[in-house]
Amino acid sequence: MTNTKADIKAVSNTARGNILAKLKAEVNGADYDKLPKEIPYDYPEFSREENLAQFISELEKNHAQVIKTTKDNMAEVISEQLAALNITKLLYGENDAHREVINGLDNKIESQVYDFSIDNNKEMLFNECPAALSSSRCSIAATGSIVLWPDENEPRSLSLVPPVHFVIVDANNLYADFASLITAQQWQDKLPTNVVLISGPSKTADIQQTLAYGAHGPKALIVLLLNI
Amino acid sequence: MKHIIEEESKYAASAKAFRANVTRDLGNEELRSNFRGAMDYLMDKRKGAFSSEDELEVLREQCKLIKQRCLAKLPHLLEQLEGNLEKNGIKVHWAETITEANEIIAQLIAQKKGKSVVKGKSMVSEETALNDYLEERNVECLESDMGEYIVQLAKEHPSHIIMPAIHQNKKQVAKLFADNIEGFEYSTDVDTLIQQGRTVLRDKFCQADVGISGVNFAVAETGTLCLVENEGNGRMCTTIPDLHIAITGIEKVIEHLADVPPLLSLLTRSATGQAISTYFNMINSPRKPGEKDGPQEVHLVLLDNGRSQAFADEELRQTLQCIRCGACMNHCPVYTRIGGHAYGTVYPGPIGKMISPHMLGLDATSNLPTASTLCGACGEVCPVKIPIPKILLRLRQESVKPKSQQPEVMKGQGAGRNNVEALIWKVWAQVHKSPKLYALSMWGLTRFRFLMPKKLGGWTSVRTAPKPAAATLHERIKSKQSQHGRG
Repeated sequence: MTNTKADIKAVSNTARGNILAKLKAEVNGADYDKLPKEIPYDYPEFSREENLAQFISELEKNHAQVIKTTKDNMAEVISEQLAALNITKLLYGENDAHREVINGLDNKIESQVYDFSIDNNKEMLFNECPAALSSSRCSIAATGSIVLWPDENEPRSLSLVPPVHFVIVDANNLYADFASLITAQQWQDKLPTNVVLISGPSKTADIQQTLAYGAHGPKALIVLLLNI
Repeated sequence: MKHIIEEESKYAASAKAFRANVTRDLGNEELRSNFRGAMDYLMDKRKGAFSSEDELEVLREQCKLIKQRCLAKLPHLLEQLEGNLEKNGIKVHWAETITEANEIIAQLIAQKKGKSVVKGKSMVSEETALNDYLEERNVECLESDMGEYIVQLAKEHPSHIIMPAIHQNKKQVAKLFADNIEGFEYSTDVDTLIQQGRTVLRDKFCQADVGISGVNFAVAETGTLCLVENEGNGRMCTTIPDLHIAITGIEKVIEHLADVPPLLSLLTRSATGQAISTYFNMINSPRKPGEKDGPQEVHLVLLDNGRSQAFADEELRQTLQCIRCGACMNHCPVYTRIGGHAYGTVYPGPIGKMISPHMLGLDATSNLPTASTLCGACGEVCPVKIPIPKILLRLRQESVKPKSQQPEVMKGQGAGRNNVEALIWKVWAQVHKSPKLYALSMWGLTRFRFLMPKKLGGWTSVRTAPKPAAATLHERIKSKQSQHGRG
């Protein structure tokens, strides 16, 4: 290797030109109005109760723990769960909605707000945060998925790095399936930095098809289900 | 300006060695039992995921049409994708060859003075042999998908596109860990093994300066990179390091966000029988001001590497409909027996036999399309209805077409052509066109049948030699008729 490096901008520009020219030569004059009609499967409509049952059953099948609770009881439920897991610290996002819950936690539990930049705090985040609490935007019944819409108050790593993830899910924001959710909320118009659908704790079957939980992300996903 | 010196894919040589690889792996009983067990498991899982045959068929037809539409508009969608990604702050790079892609990535890392990379699962980066390229430039590259981590430790490459370490059983993984990870005490308990991998890799996520991932769907309409995964390593690679580089083939672009749900549903169900993967990660931009995590820079490298060649032929274009679920290999009787490494290519099984000739040329891969019984199982399970057996037949034709015949559809056209074989077929065709010649040849074949050699090359290595009958069928029928006539 010589010291002079190829100019990757020029390489990319040339490649771009060549690739697009080759592809365009093939589709030149194509009439896109004549494409065949795509017909989606007509899924049956489910009642709210059926959707809820499906949502819970899918989550539990994927080893998530679903706890039906109320806003007032949430602090107590989290405290109990943390005690059972022998965890005394909870990381949470700067979300007004959480303040009451955090204030209501058992006083043996230290709560830490995620108000720091990850840049100089990776070691701490990875090694000193055993559990986290996050909110969610909505959820999907068909696949038992919870939609997280991270922002500056609830960073992406909040629901990823700590080994136990508590997530608050409002049963009133349950959609039948992913397709109807995207349409209803017109996602194509405005998406945040990152959206993630979570359907259970982290898992893998990479060794001899044997399912193991807690691969890289949370080992436990505890769903606090409100407004049932 | 210095030009990039194109390097040949290391997989060209291993693909050429296909026949030797097959002999080697067919004789490995442990390997065969590992694959048999894994394929039975995966076929079973898929079957359980489609309770309604009707839904499956409607979804397959819909997804086939979605992918065909997106391919019909491919150049325009790539431009739209680029525009929207750039608007979102994600930089886009284009590469025609694997070396171009590797060099772009190497320089992006060098610009940031990156020293250590964690990789999510990316088959396209396997295609470019990115790890080798970066390691030659003193950048440490660690695979973080559990299966990929195992094959990297074993200095192998994935034997399956979804489950990379499927060729190893837990005893082999336990031994690998004991030999390579300090302080690991031999155990065949899968939970213990996974927790060991977790411990090693979490440290690396925490320290790495660069994350590299693949892409399952790139949405043109919104400029979104979608990743499908169960482990969380994909999220780690794309969230924790300061620099995220995604690499994907140009065929992964889809037009609308609304195209995602049906494709995603078929992808996970066809691959592992899951209704959805644990994580579905949609990346739209680098970290925005005020946000506390996420990479400061996100780049996407779009790779051609032979895809535009497949695109140029209407029939072969269907190859690019593939969403990389792996169902074709799970259901392939050949793959199940010879395993993933025998193919010698990055992509094994039916999809590998279809796509590798475009990437490596027919010179290196002319044997691959012949490694099929044409039983049709792959085409039947393909979620986007690629007529795989038909395409394999077409590739066989391309590989034996005279080198000079125009138009040249594929690189390496005629590489599988054998003049003796071509002559035999020519004579065969002549004989079958003329009733007189046919009768004469049959007469000769039956009368001189004692001249049939006992050894007929490859044919008799696993079979007894064919023995022509004493009389032709025509003769026997005639003689029967005359007997009846007499009676």
